Amino acid sequence: MKYLLLFSTVFLCFFSCSQDDSLELAANGKSGSITRFAIYQNYMYVLNLHEVQTYDLTQKDHPVLVNKLSTDYGLETITIYDGSVFLGSTTALYILDISNPAAPVIQSKADRLAQIGFTGCDPVVVKDNYAYSTVKIIANRCGTFSAQSALIVYDISDKSNPQVVGQYLLNTPNGLGFKDQYLFICDEGSDQLLVYDISDPTSLIQTTYGLNITDPVDLIVDGQKMIVSSKTSFEVYDVSDVAHLKKIGEIAK
Amino acid sequence: MMMRIYLAPLICLCILLSSCQKEERDFYSGMGKKPIYVSATELRNIGNEAPRPIVASGTIFLRDSLLFMLEQGQGIHVFSFQDSLNTTNLAFFKIPAITDFVISGTTLYADSWRDLVVIDISNLQAIKETDRISNVINPALYPPLYQGPFECVDETRGAVMGWEDADLENVKCISTN
Repeated sequence: MKYLLLFSTVFLCFFSCSQDDSLELAANGKSGSITRFAIYQNYMYVLNLHEVQTYDLTQKDHPVLVNKLSTDYGLETITIYDGSVFLGSTTALYILDISNPAAPVIQSKADRLAQIGFTGCDPVVVKDNYAYSTVKIIANRCGTFSAQSALIVYDISDKSNPQVVGQYLLNTPNGLGFKDQYLFICDEGSDQLLVYDISDPTSLIQTTYGLNITDPVDLIVDGQKMIVSSKTSFEVYDVSDVAHLKKIGEIAK
Repeated sequence: MMMRIYLAPLICLCILLSSCQKEERDFYSGMGKKPIYVSATELRNIGNEAPRPIVASGTIFLRDSLLFMLEQGQGIHVFSFQDSLNTTNLAFFKIPAITDFVISGTTLYADSWRDLVVIDISNLQAIKETDRISNVINPALYPPLYQGPFECVDETRGAVMGWEDADLENVKCISTN
């Protein structure tokens, strides 16, 4: 009963709060692609191993847990794009409807194992009607199951029914991000930042613009700047001309 | 032979569910992983420490020319690259047993073992815990990206802030992840 009251309060608040304020709140920073926390309007989503928790941030210093959405075990990453939540789990890509941000609803679940024989982890980025997800298989995961990692492209124009439209084998991929028609992927296995041309999302082309970076983990593209993190460092690149990526800073050793 | 028979269906199940968390088997001795504990009191000790080098990075968060970077189990580094040629290691937020975080305005939200903590970072050199929601997070009770035997977590000894290689004696836990 207490919970119900709390919930209706939050619900009322959702309709009365100014949208502009909430956007401002969310707009002053961005995470890399590998994270289990995300903020949308006045709400924060936190991935537990088997559930998505929703916190009301109306009082920003005192969040209130208002909802728990159960999922299969193994949630790994969350990203929000164009009013939808995308979750990468060890077995699936979830798309959540957050038209009521206080209570996300599962809109679809693309089960990689059933569809294309991949299980693994790792992040998702979304651009227009396509989602790009790297799937990293840990060597010897689950006994002698053959290890292979990949970039998987989904057509998500129908969010209730995402379709796999491409698979590209990779070494040991981690985080990813994009700028315009270029997709950047941290490939830890080959110690490279790979650059793909995604002008045609159904047929990606690997470019020669990549960089050698030891153990790259994740990246953030911010305007003309890109931060690439590695296990023990980070570097800053000028990405105004993707064909000529230029390092403009790194952490002082 | 018995072991093989026992393991086969487990491996199948593991592939199917891909949960592969842990299973119990006979006691094991030899090289493996053991938890690094932080006491319940120390767990609540959130604050600033001197900037330090990155050892095991995690989540990154960018705001303007500030980069926040997770240090697994330890806290968050803050770097400034206002002058990109002169990146500075500005601050370190100590948040024991942290695995992830996000920032909104001047408020930082992070997990710390089983709790969600709220931290005011309006002064990067004097952060303050403003709230703590206890017992809402389920931390992983096994070493990440690891396959093999490990010393089971004993929560009476505190929270786990990391794992180290160790010569194990009679441990029961094994990770097939």
